[in-house]
Order: sequence, then structure tokens, then C-alpha cells
Amino acid sequence: MRWVFALVLAFAAGLGALYGLTGGFTVLTAEEARRQDVARAPRAIPAAEVLAKDGRILDLGQDLRRDGRVAIVNFFYTRCLSLCLAQGSVTERLQQAIEARGLQDRIRLVSISFDVRDRAADLDRYAVRMGADPGIWQFMTFVQPAQRDAALALFGITVVPAPLGEFEHNAAFHIVTPDGRLARIVDLDEPGLALTAAEALGGAGRGAAPAGREMSGS
Amino acid sequence: MSTSERKPAGSMAWGIAALACLGVAVGLHARLTALMSLHMLVQIPLLVLAGLCAEQAWHARRLAAGSARPSAAWSYNEYGIPGLLLVSLVGAGWMIPKALDDALTDWRVAAFKYLGLPFCGWLLRASLRRSNVVIKLFFLGNFCWMSAIVGMIYLDQPIRLCNAYLQDDQDWSGRGLIALAIVLPSCWLLVELKPIWRFLNR
Repeated sequence: MRWVFALVLAFAAGLGALYGLTGGFTVLTAEEARRQDVARAPRAIPAAEVLAKDGRILDLGQDLRRDGRVAIVNFFYTRCLSLCLAQGSVTERLQQAIEARGLQDRIRLVSISFDVRDRAADLDRYAVRMGADPGIWQFMTFVQPAQRDAALALFGITVVPAPLGEFEHNAAFHIVTPDGRLARIVDLDEPGLALTAAEALGGAGRGAAPAGREMSGS
Repeated sequence: MSTSERKPAGSMAWGIAALACLGVAVGLHARLTALMSLHMLVQIPLLVLAGLCAEQAWHARRLAAGSARPSAAWSYNEYGIPGLLLVSLVGAGWMIPKALDDALTDWRVAAFKYLGLPFCGWLLRASLRRSNVVIKLFFLGNFCWMSAIVGMIYLDQPIRLCNAYLQDDQDWSGRGLIALAIVLPSCWLLVELKPIWRFLNR
């Protein structure tokens, strides 16, 4: 009968391993796991130097905190011919929705390039192509590779070099609250949900944020 | 006399095979984990094979030493059923895309891959030795339909399942898994033709 004991043990060990791997039988992919982890435990954005399209150098974490608005962040590179184009046009529609609903004081869009070749001029050209309103939609690119890798790791973005100098990367809307925390990740197919989530998350932190904004202005 | 002289040589050959599998899987890990298909269908099977060959070498050595009687520990593994169940569940786990991604980023999953998979190979060989044709057929059949279905799902997905791998590569992994579901039982049939024939003519 010892083998029955062994059988139960083997079953428990196997199922236990599967339970651990799939986050309690809820996720099958690393992308799902990342979204679930972030929703459960928001992550503070680390310090990382970024170049804005007007040539200024900002600190990403500081900029996200200082602005006082909820940021819907996504990652791209300007030479992209596939996913980022789709992402760009969805973001453009999101910009229109923000304008139409008068949410520009509470929500903004931030697109960050992970490509070291992208400089301020590239961002500027891209912004013009996308019809970006500078008050709503900002563009940035990382300055230092080590900081970029740390920031991408925190966001859970994996960039894989693909043929023809392209990159393949996981794309989504990353909602960062005014206290500089990544709080939710929403699928690219659901810009409406991203906007609703951003509104809800902004509403929660609105009490403290505008005060900070006034202080930095005075 | 001649057989007892041949056995240690067999043991040596299996030992070398085990080391070769492990050497390739670990030594070329950067190359083998660069593509999803190589990671899933070459590196992981090599790690299992390393354990499998090591058990074979150990067994051959024991045979040569004359202690053919299974040790007491294996009475826990009656007919190899507990062992085969564990190996099946581990096999299922490595078909989950998250496992492949995590093996690159999470040291615990990586440790399980490099230590746990050779152990599973060892357990697989030891369990197969104690099981009979019906039990083997059950577990092999289970593994193969699972592999084929997962392969078809991989081929069918319009989106990437692994953040670290390209879509093309995912399709190749899918095709590979379907091929595995055909090749594995074919090999088994070739190896076990005689026992199967005997079983059918009982």
C-alpha cells in the first residue's frame, strides 16, 4: 500500500507545481501574470532619465508624480512598422476621446520609446505624424540603457529583436496613478476600459495630487 | 562471463550519453533558449534524456554487479504509476507558455528546469522499467493527445503567448509538438513491438 501514499504524494507535488506556476490556476502566460500582479500590488516607477521631444531631460518617476494627472503609458519605437502603428492609432483615438469628454485635466497619455536610436527629433516627427496634442500626449525616450532595462523590467515589458531591425514587444495600456505607481494594465483592444480605469484610479488619488501640482508651480 | 564483461561497457556508454545530453543542454543554453522551439523541443527533452540515460547507466552497472533485485525504495513506485503520474504532470507544466518565459526570468523555475528535469528523466526510466504495457500505453497516450492539442492551440493563436519569443517561433513550436505526438508513439511501437505483439496474442 506504500505506493498509494507515493501516488498521492506525486499527484500533490505535480498539482502544487502547476498551482505555483499558473498563479493558482488563473494564468497561463507571463503577460496575464504581469497584469494580475500589477492589479494586486501596484509598483512604484523607478528613477530613469528620459529625453522629451523638445530635448529636455526629465526623470520618468518624478515626471509621473509631479504632473498630478493619471498617465496612460505605452511603449513603442518610432521605426516600428507593425504593432506600434496599431497601438499609435488606438492611442490617437484615445486622445480624441479624452478631448471629447474634457478629461485632459485628469488624464494624459505618455508614449515611451525603448529604442536607443530614437532621439528628440524622431519623437517630434512621430508626434506630428500621430497628430498628438502636446497638452495631452507626451513622448519620451530613455537616455541610459541600464535605467531603461530597469524601467522595462518594472513595467514587465520584454523587447525581443526581430528580423529587419524590428523589435517584437508586449504592448498594453499601463495606467500610472498620480503618486507614480503602475496600478493597472489594460489590453490594447480595450481603450474604453483603459479610459474608465484611468478615470476611476484618478478619482481615488485626486485629493492629494492637485495640491502637489500647485506647490511645484508656486 | 562474456555478458558480465559487456555490461560495464554498456553502463559506460549510457553514462557518456547522459553527460553529452546534459553538456549540450547546459553548455549551449544561450543558443537553445533563444528560440521557443529549441527551448521547448530540444533543450527540455535533452535534460530529460540526460536523466533517463543516467538511470540506464546506473541500472546497467547494478546488473553487472549482480544485484538485479529492485531496491526497497522502488516498492513505493509500484508498476511505476506514481512516477509516471508525476512525470506526466511535469510534462504538462512545460507546455504552459508561462513556464518558458519564467525559465528565463525566474531563478526558481530555471533551477527546476536544470535540476528537476534530469530527475524526472531518471524517474521516468525507473518507472517505465517497473510498469507494464497497459500502463505505458495509458500515460503515453495521455501525453501525446495533450501535446497534439497544445501544438494545435499554439498554431492557432493570433497573438504571442510568450513575451520572450516571436510569433513565427510559436508556430514552429506548435508544429513540433504535433510532430512529437506522432514520433513518440511510433518510436515506442518500434521499441516495444515484441511485448505488444505478445500482449495482443494472449
